[in-house]
Amino acid sequence: MNLLQSFKMAVATIRINKVRSFLTMLGIIIGVTSVIGLVSVMQGYNADITQYYEKMGVNKISVSLTMYNFSDSVKMYDKLYEYVNKDLSGLASGVSPAMKTSGTIQYGSGTIEDTSTVYLGNEQFSLCNNYDLKEGRDISYMDVQSANHVCVIGSYIVQELFGYKNPIGETIYFNSLPLKVVGVYYQKDGTTESSMDDAIVMPYTLNKEVLGTVAVSAYTVKSVDATSMTALYTKLNAFLDAKIDDTMGKFKLTNENTEMEASDDETASLSLVLGAVASIALLVGGIGIMNIMLVTVTERTREIGIRKAIGATRKAIITQFLIESGMLSALGGIIGIIFGFIITLIVGKAMYDMILLPMAWITCASFAFSIAIGIGFGLYPAIKASGLQPVVALRAD
Amino acid sequence: MLIRVKDVYKIYNEGHENEVRALDGVSLNIDYGEYVAIIGSSGSGKSTFMNILGCLDVPTRGEYFLEDVNVKELTDADLSRIRSLKVGFIFQGYNLISTLNAYENIELPLIYQNIPAHKRRDAVFEALERVGLKERYLHFPSQLSGGQQQRIAIARAIATRAPIMMADEPTGALDSKTGIQIMETLEELNKSGSTIILITHDNGIAAKAKRVVRLSDGHIISDSRGETAV
Ligand SMILES: Nc1ncnc2c1ncn2[C@@H]1O[C@H](COP(=O)(O)OP(=O)(O)OP(=O)(O)O)[C@@H](O)[C@H]1O
Ligand SMILES: [Mg+2]
Repeated sequence: MNLLQSFKMAVATIRINKVRSFLTMLGIIIGVTSVIGLVSVMQGYNADITQYYEKMGVNKISVSLTMYNFSDSVKMYDKLYEYVNKDLSGLASGVSPAMKTSGTIQYGSGTIEDTSTVYLGNEQFSLCNNYDLKEGRDISYMDVQSANHVCVIGSYIVQELFGYKNPIGETIYFNSLPLKVVGVYYQKDGTTESSMDDAIVMPYTLNKEVLGTVAVSAYTVKSVDATSMTALYTKLNAFLDAKIDDTMGKFKLTNENTEMEASDDETASLSLVLGAVASIALLVGGIGIMNIMLVTVTERTREIGIRKAIGATRKAIITQFLIESGMLSALGGIIGIIFGFIITLIVGKAMYDMILLPMAWITCASFAFSIAIGIGFGLYPAIKASGLQPVVALRAD
Repeated sequence: MLIRVKDVYKIYNEGHENEVRALDGVSLNIDYGEYVAIIGSSGSGKSTFMNILGCLDVPTRGEYFLEDVNVKELTDADLSRIRSLKVGFIFQGYNLISTLNAYENIELPLIYQNIPAHKRRDAVFEALERVGLKERYLHFPSQLSGGQQQRIAIARAIATRAPIMMADEPTGALDSKTGIQIMETLEELNKSGSTIILITHDNGIAAKAKRVVRLSDGHIISDSRGETAV
């Protein structure tokens, strides 16, 4: 009795009892589908967040600064600006203030209430935050120095306030502060309300008029690449530590890449937990297989008796039943994987608008797990079948 | 000696009110190449005896030596090997597997004997030819008449080329012509060296055997050879 024969026999029995075989597999199908589906949704969420961080701009260090004296705060800008752009030119590509606020933006008869983010930056703001200029010009060094009433606007603002009209040279009002639009950024976040395209940027030197203070309380420093982040962080930390003592104020540095990685780790462990929960469904599917296999053994007592009478060994009977349950669960696993792929594609499209596919490891793992379950839960019925006394089994009907 | 049965009992529900002494102290020797008919009325213990001889069942008491080995001392795997290689069964109730067609039913014991596929094919068709059902090889048991099922069951036993053939009422479901054909097949097998143990309640059938053992209520009441057997 070789394995090939056992496989042929198993295929034959599964085919004869198509409906029952399908019902038996159902538990495994649902289990595998939900494991793959859940883990993939988490993976989509993760990719979504990563994408968000990438749009925001990666390789950034945020600096938050609290100075007790306004003039110290203003002087600190010049020091930091010079340090980053001269001494750190190999590590950093730019630095910009990063204060933000919100309010009403108005042009002609159109207004946008409170959804927009209003940034106060310098001529390196767009570089630091991944905005690309589409038309007009960016905030210039001169604009910053002279505190010009100018701004660059995001694509959502253009769409909402100007429609097809050219916004360059027009004047918009931020909480009644007039600002001349000098440039427009490319869309980068879907041109929707509250997105990164719902934003305007003006020289930070307007902060007295906008925020009522001359203090510069937040900066973004952009690193040249990911590998320079640690060195940049250390340098900045040392620099600020030397310049700011406890009597003047305090500062805090945040590596934004680490934030992103932490959120990656968080979703990874969350998806593991969800995967584990879903595998309980798989386990239940396994119990379903055991149940059906036990019924099968009872139903086929006579067949087992005949097989034993004409020479089947215990091993042959066990092999036959194990292959049968293993094949049922493998088949269920394959169908579950197909459904898992479909669900993942649908969810990816609907929730995150991306082509999402289950990861290879979760596909392989759930397939292996379903086979293991089929064999594991098939073992008891198989052993039970093989232990039947031939004469007793033959008398059964 | 091929078969040596010493004072064998098979008692069902011993000590209870519904106790049945299916075999009540049976002793019998059968040598290689013999053709033995076991005859007796219904319920006399014939099938029970055959099950024990074929290692499908174990006696309640007593010893059974097959080729001088006490079967009590054999493992489950040994018993499977005996059933596979030494004994060909023709059961009273055909015992075909309903989900397999005629060909597959006959092939099954050969699979358990680990015979390669092409040799199995030849053996199956040869056996089908012998029982005259070659053209029915794709039919399932439910698509065959009782007599045809019986003949497939006989073909299954013949195909194994086992040295011992045990047939429990093999002609019970057959008309006299097919019955005679089957009896001729058994005789041929015996001539080519097989040991035949034939169970029947029909004196006419038993007369074909060289030796007749008569069972009654679990006892052997006569054991005779030659022309005077019946
Ligand atoms: N599992 C069992 N439990 C109880 N009694 C049994 C069992 N199997 C057989 N018997 C009894 O043992 C006796 C012998 O049965 P057996 O089947 O050997 O008869 P038989 O000679 O083959 O009869 P037949 O010619 O009708 O086939 C019968 O009385 C039967 O009722
Ligand atoms: Mg009988």
